[in-house]
Amino acid sequence: MDWELERSAGRLVARPRGRVDETTWEAFSQALTSAVRDAADAGGLPLVVDLSGLDYMSSRGLRALTMAKREAGEVVKITLAGPNAPMREILAISRYDKLFEVTDSLGSVA
Amino acid sequence: MLVRFWGTRGSLPVAPQALPVQAKIARALVAAGGRTFADEAEAAAFAEANLDFATYGSYGGATSCVEIEGGDDVFMVCDLGSGAREFGVNSLRRCAKGHARTWHIFLSHMHWDHIMGFPFFGPAFDPAATLIIHAGHPDAEAALRRQQEEISFPVPFDWLKAKISFVTHGRNEPFEVAGVTVTLIRQHHSHESYGFQFQRDGRSVIYSTDSEHKLDNMEAEAAFEAFFAGADLVICDTMYSLGDSVSLKQDWGHSSNIVAVDLCHAAEAKRLALFHHEPSYTDEDIQRMHAETVRYEELVRGDRPALEVLCAYDGLEVTV
Ligand SMILES: [Zn+2]
Ligand SMILES: [Zn+2]
Repeated sequence: MDWELERSAGRLVARPRGRVDETTWEAFSQALTSAVRDAADAGGLPLVVDLSGLDYMSSRGLRALTMAKREAGEVVKITLAGPNAPMREILAISRYDKLFEVTDSLGSVA
Repeated sequence: MLVRFWGTRGSLPVAPQALPVQAKIARALVAAGGRTFADEAEAAAFAEANLDFATYGSYGGATSCVEIEGGDDVFMVCDLGSGAREFGVNSLRRCAKGHARTWHIFLSHMHWDHIMGFPFFGPAFDPAATLIIHAGHPDAEAALRRQQEEISFPVPFDWLKAKISFVTHGRNEPFEVAGVTVTLIRQHHSHESYGFQFQRDGRSVIYSTDSEHKLDNMEAEAAFEAFFAGADLVICDTMYSLGDSVSLKQDWGHSSNIVAVDLCHAAEAKRLALFHHEPSYTDEDIQRMHAETVRYEELVRGDRPALEVLCAYDGLEVTV
């Protein structure tokens, strides 16, 4: 998994690439939690996780999303953007699409 | 070994009701599309071949009770939920044909849905029967006696005719039962629960119900991966979706289908049986959850060999 973080237009955009599974979830979790802290330190910027470069994510990655959401509390809003078809299915099967706002693309994040 | 499911529902027994049965009949008639059948047998053959499981069958509604056949001339059973009534009747029938009257019972924990079948468990009333109750909890006997106190049940524990003994086991200390090696693992659940591993002739079955896998406890995760390692069948608590188990139903003591798949993948287990079904789920809900779990397994499989995902139902038999 690769990871990029970019600040643009009043928000932070995180770009994980590859797979999040039992070998990569720890790196994903650390990067995500530190992005939440950066967003909070910058005055509560929204954080968009651009999923378009991810092949898939197992439960380890989903659990990391929950830990990040707990860290974010009411201060940082996390949105998931641009999941590919398998990733969208995983979000539906796990019911994570009920816990997170999921948008089709970066551009459609409200 | 042969694993026979007598009760697969979580928390509370569920009885079939008219509305869902009527819906099944209506779906069957639509599927028949105006065909005529000479007799019921011909109609049943058509139904079996053409209807999905939730229409032709049912997951059943008895609570946890799973028989492990494979001990030398003894019965072995995990938990005494409401499915234990039928298991008791059936096993006594086998005794009438010559099976020895010894039952080894393995209790995951003492919650009501896992012991409620005991007051209706026929062998306990048989003076020729021997019941050996294995548990990780030292208070197993207290729990079984308490549910037969007069305020709850008319027949007190001391009136039971069978020879009944209790054995408390330490975790990770394997013991032998009639040629089968049994090991316990402690699980995260209210008042704790224990998972069991049964091994014989290089085959292994895991019974792991009422077990919550906490988000941030990766040490426990590694312990379960090791416990499940290479198992031929893992019976796993999959009561909730992952989303529910980390939000609304956090700390309710149960796990999800997708964590079960990931644990089995990491452990290189061969088969997973979804178990301890949510009592509010209809047959269609459980069938959908099964299909989603099969799909999830495909999506995250990567380069691993496929994990076969079964959905336990009352009456299912799996040869291991
Ligand atoms: Zn239970
Ligand atoms: Zn329980």
